[in-house]
Amino acid sequence: MSQKNRIAAGQVDRATELSFRFNDTWMKGHPGDTLASALLANGQRLVGRSFKYHRPRGILTAGSEEPNALVQLRSGAHQEPNTRATTVELFDGLTATSQNHRGSLEFDLMAVTDLLSPFLSAGFYYKTFMWPRAFWEKLYEPVIRASAGLGSLSMKDDPDRYDKGFAHCDLLVIGAGPSGLAAALAAGRAGARVILADEDFRPGGRLNAETLEIDGMPGADWAAGVVAELAAMDNVRLMTRTTVYGAYDHGTYGALERCTDHLADAGGKPRQILWRIYSKRAVLTAGATERPIAFGNNDRPGIMLAGAVRAYLNRYGVTPGHEVAVFTNNDDGWRTAADLAARGVHVPAVIDSRDAPAPLDVPGARHIRGVGVVDTVGRKGIKSITLTDGQVIPVDCLAVSGGWNPNVHLTCHQRGRPVWRDDINAFVPGDALPPGMAVAGAANGALTLAAALAEGQATANAQIEQLGFTASHTATPRAEDEPHRGAAFWHVRESTKRAWLDQQNDVTVKDVKQSYREGFRAVEHLKRYTTLGMATDQGKTANIPALAIMAECTGKTIPETGTTIFRPPYTPVPLGALGGRSRGRDFRPYRLTPSHQWAKENGATFVEVGNWLRAQWYARPGEQGWRDSVDREVTATRNSVGICDVTTLGKIDIQGRDAGEFLNRIYCNGFATLAVGKVRYGLMLREDGIAYDDGTTARMSENHYVMTTTTANAVLVFRRLEFARQCLWPDLDVHLISTTDGWAQFAVAGPNARNLLRKVIDAEHDISNEAFPFMACGEVTVCSGTPARLFRISFSGELAYEIAVPARYGNAMMGVLMQAGAEYDATPYGTEALSVMRIEKGHAAGNELNGQTTAHNLGMGRMVSQKKDSIGAVLSQRPEMIRDDAIKLVGFRPVNRADKLAAGSHFITRGDKASMDNDQGWMTSVAYSPSLGHSIGLGFIKRGDQRQGEIVRAVNPLMGSEIEVEIVSAHFIDPEGERLRA
Amino acid sequence: MPDLTLTLTSAPPLAGYDTTFGNLSLTAPADLAIVSLALPLGAEDAAKKAIKSAYGIDLPDPGKSAVSKEGARLVRLGLDMALVIFTHATPDAERVVAGKLKGKVYTTDQTDVWTGLSLSGPRARVALERICPIDLHPDAFAENDAARTVMEHLGALIIRTGPDAFLLLSASSSAGSFLHAIETSIENIT
Repeated sequence: MSQKNRIAAGQVDRATELSFRFNDTWMKGHPGDTLASALLANGQRLVGRSFKYHRPRGILTAGSEEPNALVQLRSGAHQEPNTRATTVELFDGLTATSQNHRGSLEFDLMAVTDLLSPFLSAGFYYKTFMWPRAFWEKLYEPVIRASAGLGSLSMKDDPDRYDKGFAHCDLLVIGAGPSGLAAALAAGRAGARVILADEDFRPGGRLNAETLEIDGMPGADWAAGVVAELAAMDNVRLMTRTTVYGAYDHGTYGALERCTDHLADAGGKPRQILWRIYSKRAVLTAGATERPIAFGNNDRPGIMLAGAVRAYLNRYGVTPGHEVAVFTNNDDGWRTAADLAARGVHVPAVIDSRDAPAPLDVPGARHIRGVGVVDTVGRKGIKSITLTDGQVIPVDCLAVSGGWNPNVHLTCHQRGRPVWRDDINAFVPGDALPPGMAVAGAANGALTLAAALAEGQATANAQIEQLGFTASHTATPRAEDEPHRGAAFWHVRESTKRAWLDQQNDVTVKDVKQSYREGFRAVEHLKRYTTLGMATDQGKTANIPALAIMAECTGKTIPETGTTIFRPPYTPVPLGALGGRSRGRDFRPYRLTPSHQWAKENGATFVEVGNWLRAQWYARPGEQGWRDSVDREVTATRNSVGICDVTTLGKIDIQGRDAGEFLNRIYCNGFATLAVGKVRYGLMLREDGIAYDDGTTARMSENHYVMTTTTANAVLVFRRLEFARQCLWPDLDVHLISTTDGWAQFAVAGPNARNLLRKVIDAEHDISNEAFPFMACGEVTVCSGTPARLFRISFSGELAYEIAVPARYGNAMMGVLMQAGAEYDATPYGTEALSVMRIEKGHAAGNELNGQTTAHNLGMGRMVSQKKDSIGAVLSQRPEMIRDDAIKLVGFRPVNRADKLAAGSHFITRGDKASMDNDQGWMTSVAYSPSLGHSIGLGFIKRGDQRQGEIVRAVNPLMGSEIEVEIVSAHFIDPEGERLRA
Repeated sequence: MPDLTLTLTSAPPLAGYDTTFGNLSLTAPADLAIVSLALPLGAEDAAKKAIKSAYGIDLPDPGKSAVSKEGARLVRLGLDMALVIFTHATPDAERVVAGKLKGKVYTTDQTDVWTGLSLSGPRARVALERICPIDLHPDAFAENDAARTVMEHLGALIIRTGPDAFLLLSASSSAGSFLHAIETSIENIT
């Protein structure tokens, strides 16, 4: 295919040729082209099929507002559907395919839906597929999804990289058109830190698309000069290919930078970066979007917006046709005709809806006044237009201008409402702008060049002066204000054929009228009933004409009719960019225990506990499954000695003269009497009296305590303590710092624990039962002088210690403990064995401290000291919290010892119906106890403490199981605690 | 009896890491010792005096750091909280600092709580821009400034140690993830 529509002009690099493929045809283009301009250069008018009716569609616009020319880009895993050909930068080897057709683009089998259009009007799905209900999921929805829709996904993992970034500036300028460039230049020269972001790959905005002059030179040249000056300034950051898509709180803006989309190969670098831009002030210079006029069959390929035709002509050197008529309701449309004529393209007619003299002279063009286009001919490309006066004019392109809408979107992201201006027949930003934002240029309704330049400069100066900068004395660039009068003419009433408003969602004038007739008259109802503006283009070219038609129906004005809310993002943001690097293994950070390497080398299976990876069990050859490993680890620990890395428990260093008093107020039980060198179990309550977290606190010296928390609540408890220290009791001398990661801590449990530790702990430290009894703590040294902390505490119920060394020694310490324990067959154990042993011992953990239970429920009601105040103490004594028949934590064992208990089962009295009314409580934790040889459980049951020996049913409707269980003590092992004191 | 053949070897998570990416250098500083200081309520002046006499410099304001003649860096994290960062190999950093401060300041060993990475080179700030939400422009974050922040979901402390040099500290348990985050940022801009 040759570039038959390429004429000598524009800003593309004609010296370099690029090859690209559209469907099965290879074509040529040049650097500086978009895919759309290259397609038009090659005479390709038909680009895709419409969403609902599979109508042939072409290119309507030259920018990000494009509703029609959506293509699937690239292939294989890199395939990306729904990209706008008007924003895709051409590169050598680009491949694009058209979307939404069965069979070829030219002969779409689904085009039959167009014939069914009388049945498929607004609300069709709501009305038709209601019955029978069961058909929706199985039949209707899959069929509709298959026939309607846009491109398709590759169904492969996205191989591209994405990144995020944080940028900061004094002034963010959004849009690098004339007003944006003037604004950035003013702020940049004044020394402010400026970010100038523009979605295009070539800054300049409409200056690149027009023949207007600034300071006596072509606008595009002026823009290039300004860009060069800005690029040389250290305080200015120019971000091209970057769409500012959302205005968020405190001057924060979201922006998507397309880094490598214009390259054939990303070279392993991020394809796109999602920026968070923190600005002190912002100027929105987002320009304006042209809107079409609705008339019969106004969606044919070759019917384009007049401004877009100018852009293709002036910027890309492409004429979309050789017989181009213009249909306009305003002066600006005339400039398209004039520019075409100046380039030697024949303009047979300028059809102006206004009965007024021509604002410009267009050689060779007939001026047809006060009429409209009523219909068009040409299924896959326009061939002729028919006017309201009956004239038929052969054309191969029709340029349409219905006036321009300021791009107010970002001004509305914090619920700002635009206001109507009759003089330009458009909404402009209202007063309630996002804090720090000002608007200038066409986005603010200054639709002419001189006004846009002046406003951009003045607005930037005002913004930076608020920040303490002195505006530079820069002369305002000289330009003229082009004629821009227009009429409020929205659609050609005489048209009886379908007149399209939202081309991406196939919404017509008739649909809006039907919506009105059926009572969906509010704009938000209109939008949802017809799907107007709900496609990926968010109705950028459709909304205002549709509102105008609804206003006509209701007899209201457009401002009375109102607009729907604009929300971020301004243009689509790929999910990959939102995810950034957080994919797969990098979805979140991992925390490793100090002995992770040792565990890995010794066959550990790891489990995720929050961000931590913990050894769950250590399988040995010959073991048939995890239970074999866990049973062995439990038995070995109870018979001799086991070792477990318990570093993940939160550790909080608490110091200060008032640290003891502080703990006394934090824990519900007394801490005032804790002696130096002793550890105490502590329970924290929430303010409402519910149990919050538990752990131990050791008093290392007079004013120094070390608290442990549960793994899950380590951060939350620290935060809560900081809150209490800073806000509740600022008069206490208490200081907190986390040392969780600083110490590698190991539980050494079992009858040989002391024997093992005697080999590790240096001789001067007496750890005999007399010198270092249960609940003792102290600083020791290990392996000839390495500092360590020793705590005699037990979660397993055995004679047990926890020994901590600086984390850098943690991996070696695990090896040392195993080496020292070799003669006792010391066994490493994981979190499963840890859990089995704590259930056997009847210790509460997360399943029991679930945010619904109290100290009273946990059987620790008497621990809540009434001799002092502590967080939650008062509210824990509310009558409902301390009822006699409250649920109590007890143990359960199956009557038939072979039965397996299930956590989550609910307890029902024998003979009662298994219903919520008869619910007595629930099973919280279960385990197979290798020590007892059967399944055991912990759970809450009403008056459990008074019902030992009673048999109830454990019912689990989810698993369809029901077994009889006996209520027993929660302490299955060593209820008298003799082992741990041994 | 203690088994005298048992020995413990030190292995901090990123020990020995030292890599160059173009003109960017990323290194895990060796033997980085960190001790936290807490000023006792009501006795702050005595604590500050003790710090001054121990290090020869005033305790800097919150968000700032200062380096003593001997090379110890005092980083003020809050009204009553600071860190001393210095080079010290043995696991007794807290004792050393406590000894200098003569009981006027509460001290806690933080050496093994953190992992440190030094990033330097002309494009260090560009690399950090991908993960560090705070403004690192020299006008906003001058040499010796310090800030607590979050990078890739990881709590971090960043200190500007030179015009193009930063010391980054994050939790030692997630050192691998932190290193990966920094390396990825560097790879993405070089």
